Amino acid sequence: MENVVELKGIKKAFKGFSIDQIDMEVKKGFITGFVGANGAGKSTTIKMMMNLLKPDQGEVSVFGLDYKTHEKEIKERIGFVYDANVFYEGLNLKDIKRTVAPAYKSWDDDLFDYYVDKFGLPLNKAMKKFSKGMQMKASLAIALSHHAELIIMDEPTAGLDPIFRREFLDLIQELMVDSNRTIFFSSHITTDLDRIADYIAFIQDGDIVFNHSTEEVAENYAIVKGELDLLDRDTEKAFVEVRRVPTGFEALTDNLKQVNDIFGDSVVIEHATLEDIMYYLKGGVSHV
Amino acid sequence: MFNLFRRDLILQKKMMLIFIPFILFFIIMGTSTTLIALVASVFIPFNAFYYDEKAETNILLNSLPYTRKEIVASRYIGAVVYMLLAIGLTSLLLLVFNQSFTLNEIAIGATMFMLFAALTFPIFYIFKPGYLMIVVLISFFVFLFIVENAIPYVMENFTTLTEFVLNLSTVELYVFGTLTILVVYGVSWLASTIIYQQKAL
Repeated sequence: MENVVELKGIKKAFKGFSIDQIDMEVKKGFITGFVGANGAGKSTTIKMMMNLLKPDQGEVSVFGLDYKTHEKEIKERIGFVYDANVFYEGLNLKDIKRTVAPAYKSWDDDLFDYYVDKFGLPLNKAMKKFSKGMQMKASLAIALSHHAELIIMDEPTAGLDPIFRREFLDLIQELMVDSNRTIFFSSHITTDLDRIADYIAFIQDGDIVFNHSTEEVAENYAIVKGELDLLDRDTEKAFVEVRRVPTGFEALTDNLKQVNDIFGDSVVIEHATLEDIMYYLKGGVSHV
Repeated sequence: MFNLFRRDLILQKKMMLIFIPFILFFIIMGTSTTLIALVASVFIPFNAFYYDEKAETNILLNSLPYTRKEIVASRYIGAVVYMLLAIGLTSLLLLVFNQSFTLNEIAIGATMFMLFAALTFPIFYIFKPGYLMIVVLISFFVFLFIVENAIPYVMENFTTLTEFVLNLSTVELYVFGTLTILVVYGVSWLASTIIYQQKAL
């Protein structure tokens, strides 16, 4: 399977935060959800994918090209949406379009008009008078109007109301009708990703904990509940993180088969949502 | 890169409206031609920095298919283009208002602008945005003060340099001045490019 983005051996250190080693691929033609708590390194990783930040070490390649020699070619083919409005607030959408469109060779005015119409965006109103949802729609309309093959979004759903979030997710799915397209988006709202992502990349404290298809996650991860006396040093190895309460234990496994072999019917096994996984992994056991 | 100039003009179209009254004010106040040329030149390029001061603008420009080299180049080339336009317009206004001026005064104004731009542009790339405009405004007045006071001082105290300059013919003086300013401007351009390429956004 072809990779659109490849991060190899990425290291980046800041004051008080560092990315020690990130290796990650984004598969072509799929939606990859990038999940992690606030401050886990999602935005930093995205900035490195966009060449806004340079890694201290390691390689970033997009469409198989590197930024040193092909910066413009790469960015021609990327559409981006960030969590904050990056457009000049005093301008209306018509003028913003006039400043952005000429930057792209493949800008398509008809397509832009189509999205403006579809999203019900006013062309002559200053951006600062837009609601958060409208600003997101405007950014999205701009990101989608140059036939980008890769759409990178940093927390696009943050600050949006539930109804608009649902609309947004539907729209993302519509976009995937074009099989050449790849979408990579970060979120800390795990239900968004549960709903639409094909792949989940999970980052925690600057490390990629896993990058699997949603099926793989569902097949391997589960919440296991049982009596405390079932736990010993050996059986605990089947779990990523165990929480003990007086009435028994609750644990997260990333190896459902092993759990079935060890415990059989003596435990209750439940589907682990991304939120469960995040919650248990936050428990602090480092793990790859 | 042409698109980046166009962007400046779209961003500043409202500012353009006050450009002519702004210059007229200086003309009516009887300000020296050199200073008017300088102030008129400063108008658009420094406003452009002001508009782009927000960190998000850098994120936007760098996410679009532009290289950092181009973004810096558009500032340096743009400054010269806007300066020429501003000086053209100023000369026209001076003619309309029947004010006499010499090419020399204009040339000194342009030189001072380029020197000022060369000294301040790298600051925009070094520091984080926030108070840059204030820093630049203050440095503008300091710059004017230095130019007014230091030049007579240098002329009195460094006689060899003064004699060298005074002995140049007008043509030589122009060539010498132009070359000097081009070198300073070029070095500043190079420095800004290097600084911006290293910058984390």
